[in-house]
Amino acid sequence: MLKPYQMSSVIITGPNIIQETVIKELHNLKILHIVEHSKNELADIGKPLESANKLSETLVRIRALIAALNIKKEETGFETGKGLLEIESATKKLNQEASSNLDELRKTEEQLSKNQAAKNELEILKDIDVPLESLTSYKSLAYFTGYIGNKSSVNFLKEELSKITDKFMVLGSIAGKKQFIVLFVEAKNKEQASSILNRHNFSPVNLANISNLKGNASANLKKLEGEAKKLQQRKEAIRKNLNQLSADHKGFLLAADEFLSEQLEKAEAPLKFASTQSSFLIKGWIPSEELSNSIGRLNKVAKNKIFVHFEPAKKEDKVPVKLKNPGYAKAFEFFIDLYGMPTYREIDPTFFIFLTFPIFFGIMLGDIGYGTISFMIFWILKKKMPKARNFFNILLLASFVSILFGLLYGEFFGEEKILELELPHLLSRVHDMFTLLYLSIGIGVVHVNIGLIIGFINEIRSHGFMHAVYAKASWVILQAGIALLALTYFKMIAISPLIGAVFLALAVLMLLKGEGVKGLIELPSILTNIMSYARLMAIGLSSVILAVIVNDSSKEFFHKGGFFIIVGVLILIIGHTINIMLGLLGSFLHSLRLHYVEFFSKFFHGGAKKYQPFGAKE
Amino acid sequence: MAADISTGLIALGSGLAIGISAIAAAIAEKEIGAAAVGAMAEKEELFGKGLILTVIPETLVIFGLVVAILILNLAKGG
Repeated sequence: MLKPYQMSSVIITGPNIIQETVIKELHNLKILHIVEHSKNELADIGKPLESANKLSETLVRIRALIAALNIKKEETGFETGKGLLEIESATKKLNQEASSNLDELRKTEEQLSKNQAAKNELEILKDIDVPLESLTSYKSLAYFTGYIGNKSSVNFLKEELSKITDKFMVLGSIAGKKQFIVLFVEAKNKEQASSILNRHNFSPVNLANISNLKGNASANLKKLEGEAKKLQQRKEAIRKNLNQLSADHKGFLLAADEFLSEQLEKAEAPLKFASTQSSFLIKGWIPSEELSNSIGRLNKVAKNKIFVHFEPAKKEDKVPVKLKNPGYAKAFEFFIDLYGMPTYREIDPTFFIFLTFPIFFGIMLGDIGYGTISFMIFWILKKKMPKARNFFNILLLASFVSILFGLLYGEFFGEEKILELELPHLLSRVHDMFTLLYLSIGIGVVHVNIGLIIGFINEIRSHGFMHAVYAKASWVILQAGIALLALTYFKMIAISPLIGAVFLALAVLMLLKGEGVKGLIELPSILTNIMSYARLMAIGLSSVILAVIVNDSSKEFFHKGGFFIIVGVLILIIGHTINIMLGLLGSFLHSLRLHYVEFFSKFFHGGAKKYQPFGAKE
Repeated sequence: MAADISTGLIALGSGLAIGISAIAAAIAEKEIGAAAVGAMAEKEELFGKGLILTVIPETLVIFGLVVAILILNLAKGG
C-alpha cells in the first residue's frame, strides 16, 4: 500500500553456449523486467537465436491464414503438442489448400461480375431484333447505340435523317423508362447523323461487354443467366469449403499462433541483451522478494556457469514500477494504469482513490433506486465480461455507496415519499441545496489538502525538506491566509486583516522560491480547484431534478386515468433509463476528474515504466 | 412564488451567468480536446496530460456557477 514493490537491479552474464537455456528459464520464471541494451563501443546487441527466422516466417503465414479464413481470436484450449517443424509443414499444406480455394473464389467472382455486365447490356437490347454480330464495325456501315430524348424524338429523327439519305435503319425499344435506339447509316453519312443525334439529346451507350456474342439478344441473355447460376453455385461451394477449412483448423491455427509467438519472443530476446563474441549480458529488474529464489533457479539450470550481480535501486535509476495494493483496493489500479505510472519513489495514490472515488460517485448519484439498478446492471455485466472484472468491481462498489447516500438523502428514484410515507433523511438534496454546496466545498478543501500532504512527502523524498516546505506547505499557508482574510472581512473574528495579508505574502514568497514564476501564475488555481468540488452538489442536483420532472409529468398522466396510464408508465421507464445513464456517466467522469485534475495535480509526477516481466502475457 | 418582473430578471441573470460561461468553456474545450485526442493517437501515455489540459476551461463554468449563486443570494437579501 502507498509504495510499489521494492525492486532490485540485476545483471546476468554468461557464455553464449548457455544463452538459450537462460532465456528459457527466464521465460518460465516470468520475473525479470528486461532493460533494453543500446549499442555502444563496449558491446553490441545480441543476435537472435537461429530459429528466429523460421519462426517469424511461419508465424506470418499462420497469421495471414487466420486473417484469410476470418478466424476470430478466442480461447480454444487447443494444444498443438507439436514442434516447429510439424507446425511448419502443416501450415504449408493448409496454406496451399486455402490459397487455391481463395484463388478460385477470386476468379469466380471476376467471371460473375463480367457476366453481370454483359447481362446488363443485353437487357437493354433484348427487345430489339437485331443479331448481335451486326453491332461490329464495317467499312461501309456505321452504327450508333444509345438513349435519346423520348419516343417522339424517334420520329423526328427519322424525318431529319430521310432528308439526307434513305439508306438508314432505326430500331428502338424502351429500356427502363428511357428510349433506347440502334441506328444504322452508311459510313459516309456518319458525321451528319451524329450531329442530328446530338440535337436530340443523344447519349451513347458503349456495348463493350457483348462484342463477341452472336445471335439475338434475348437468347444470349437466357444463356448467360444459366451461366450465372452455375457460377453462383460454384462460389457458394468454395465459400463452404473455406468455412469448413476454417472450422477444422481454427484450434490448430490459434494454438500455433500462440505457441510460435512465445517461441519467437524467446528467440528474439537476445536483441535486448548486450553481447560480445563469446558472452552475453542481461540487465533488468526483479522484485526484491523474489530475488533469491529466482537467482537460485537460474544458477541451477545454468550449472553455475553464469554470474548474477544484484543491488537495490539507486536514487537516479529509472525503476519499472509494480504497484502493491491489498486485494480490496487492487481494482483501482486500473485508474493509475489509465493515467500513467507513478515513479518508483512517489507515493502510489491507488489507496486514496479507493477511499474517495466511490464516495464522490455516491454523493453525485446518491439514490436508492438508481444505486440498486446500476448495481444489478454491473453485476450482470461483470458476469458477462470477466475480462473487465476490475472495472466492474469499481463500479459495483461505487453503486453500493450510491445506495448508502440514497438512504442519507432519503431518495428513491427522485421521490422523497413512497405512498405518503416520507423517507427518513439526514439531508435533502432538493431543499438543503446550500448545505450540500458548503459540504462539497468542505470536502474539496480536505481532499486538496490531502493531496498537498502527499505532495509534501513526495517532495521530501525527491528534493529534501526545505523544498517541500516551499513548494507544498506554501499552498496550505496560502489557504490559511485567504481564510483569515475572508473571516475578518465578514467580521467573524476580531483580528486585524493584516495578519491574513501577512500569511498571504509569506505564501507567495515561499512559492516564488519553491516553484518560481510558474508557481505565481498558478496562484488562483487553488481557489478554482476547491470551487471545482461544487460539482459534487451540482451534478447530484441536476440528476434529482431530472428525476423529479420525470415523476411529476408521469403523475399527471396517471391522474387522467385509462389509456394515459400506459403513457405515464412509458414516461417513467424511458425518463429514468435516460437519467440513470446520464447519472452514471456524469458521476463516473466527474468523480474521476476530481481525482485526476484536482487531486493528482497536487503531488503526482509519474512517467515511470510499468513492470512487465519477460514471458508474462499482457 | 411571486412572479413579478424583477424575479424574472434575477432568474434570467443567473441563467445567463451559467449559460454563457458554459458556452465559453465548450468553445475552449472543443479545440483543446481535438488537439489532445490527436496527441493521444500518437502517444497513448499522454492521456493524463491531455485530460488535464482539456478540462482546464471548465473553471469558467465554475465561476459562472458561483456568480449565479451570488445573484440568487443577492436577490434573497435584497
